[in-house]
Amino acid sequence: MPENREQLVTGSPIVTVDHVSLNYHNEKEPLPVLADVSLTAGKDELVAVTGPSGCGKSTLLRIIGGLSKATAGTVKIADSEVTGPRSEITMVFQNFVLLPWRTSLENVLFGLSSRKDLSIAQKREKAEKALEETGLMGFENVYPGELSGGMKQRVGVARALATDPEVMLMDEPFSSLDDLTAERLRKEIYALLINPFTSVKTVIMVSHNVEEIIELADKAVVLSQRPAHVVGELTIDLPRPRNKKSPEFFTWVDKVYSLLS
Amino acid sequence: MVEPGRPLPIALVMPGNVRAGQVISLVEVTGGLGAKVDASRLADELGADIAVLLTILDAAEMLGLVKSEKGNVSLTELGLRFQKTSKNKVRMLKEKLAAIEPFRTALELASKGKAVTAGQVSEVLSEIGIKWHYQPELNESLIKALLIHWTIYGALMKYDGKTGKFQKA
Repeated sequence: MPENREQLVTGSPIVTVDHVSLNYHNEKEPLPVLADVSLTAGKDELVAVTGPSGCGKSTLLRIIGGLSKATAGTVKIADSEVTGPRSEITMVFQNFVLLPWRTSLENVLFGLSSRKDLSIAQKREKAEKALEETGLMGFENVYPGELSGGMKQRVGVARALATDPEVMLMDEPFSSLDDLTAERLRKEIYALLINPFTSVKTVIMVSHNVEEIIELADKAVVLSQRPAHVVGELTIDLPRPRNKKSPEFFTWVDKVYSLLS
Repeated sequence: MVEPGRPLPIALVMPGNVRAGQVISLVEVTGGLGAKVDASRLADELGADIAVLLTILDAAEMLGLVKSEKGNVSLTELGLRFQKTSKNKVRMLKEKLAAIEPFRTALELASKGKAVTAGQVSEVLSEIGIKWHYQPELNESLIKALLIHWTIYGALMKYDGKTGKFQKA
C-alpha cells in the first residue's frame, strides 16, 4: 500500500491545487502559462478540467502528478505536498503510452517495477487482477499492436490501477478512440474507478469534450486561454446514469460552453 | 488444402472491422429505444455513420442478437438476454461465433490440440474464396485481429503473442 494512505481524511479534499502558476522563460521575457490556478478534488469525485486548446490543461495535470514543477503555488495530496512523482498518483494518457515490445501483462507489470515491497508473484497477481477488472482477461499475452484502440486504453488503465493509486489523473483518455468505443469505455471506466472497492479516491480528468465532461464529472473546472486561470467551477449535480438526450444535460453543456466562450 | 467434403460456400463471415464493443453498444441502444427502432435513428443515437452501423448490424444479426426488417431493428430473445447480462457478454455468443468465419476454420484447424497461425487460417479460407482483403498480408492481419478480439473474448481460443499462435481454450 502507498505510505501516505492513512493520511487521507474523508470529507476534506484529496487533492488541493493552491494558487499554482507556471512561467516558461525564453531569452527575452517570461511566458506565463498558468496564472494562479486553484482547485480541489474530493473523495469519490471526478473533476474535469477543460479549456481552450493549448491553454495548459495537460501541463496542470503534469504539475498535479509531480511530473512538472510549478513556478509558484502548491499541490497537496491530503496534507502532503507533491514535490515529485509519487506512488499514490498515477496517470492515464491520451495516446496510451504502451511499450510495443511488451505484452499486455508485461506492460502492466512494468508499472509495478518500482514496487520493492512486492514479490514477483504478487506483482503478477496484481497485474492479472487489473487486466481482469478492465475486461482483458485472456489478452495477457497479446502485444499492443495487436489490440484495438479501446483495448490499448484498457491496458493503460489496468497499468494505472495495478499500482493501487489513490489519485488517478487522466489526460484526454478517450479522445483518440472512435465515438462508439469511447462511449462504452467511458461508462466502464467510470464504474471501475468510482466505487467503494477500488483504491482510487479521486479522479482528475482533462478533456476538451464538453458532453463527455457532463456525462462523467461531478465538478467541471473551466480554464481561460493562456495564461490559464479558472474562469468557472461548476458542480454538476445531475443524477446518474446521465441521459445525454435530456434537456437538463444540454443545459449543463450550455453552461460549460458559455464559460469557454 | 481444402479437405474433401468441406461444405462450400460458407455464408457466415464476420465483417473485418466490427468489434464486440460496437455490437454491445448497438444491442444496448436498441433495447433502450423500444420494440422496433429505425436504423437511421440507431445511427444517430450511436453517433455512427450509417455505413459503419450497417456492418455492426450485420454482425449483430449474424450473432442472433437482432432482427432487421425493412430498416426496422429489434432485439431477439437472445439479444434481450445479452442486453441484461452485465459481465462476459461475448461468452454468451460462444456457439454462434464458432459457426462464423474465420473462427470456424481456426477452431477446426486447432482441433486435436494443435496450435494455428492466422496465416494458416487465411490460406485455407482464401482457397474457398473467403477474404477480407485482396492483399494476402493485409488479409492475414485482418484475420489475426478478428481472431484475437473475438475468440479471446468469446473464450473459444487462447493466443500467445510471442509465437503468434492460437489454441483452443
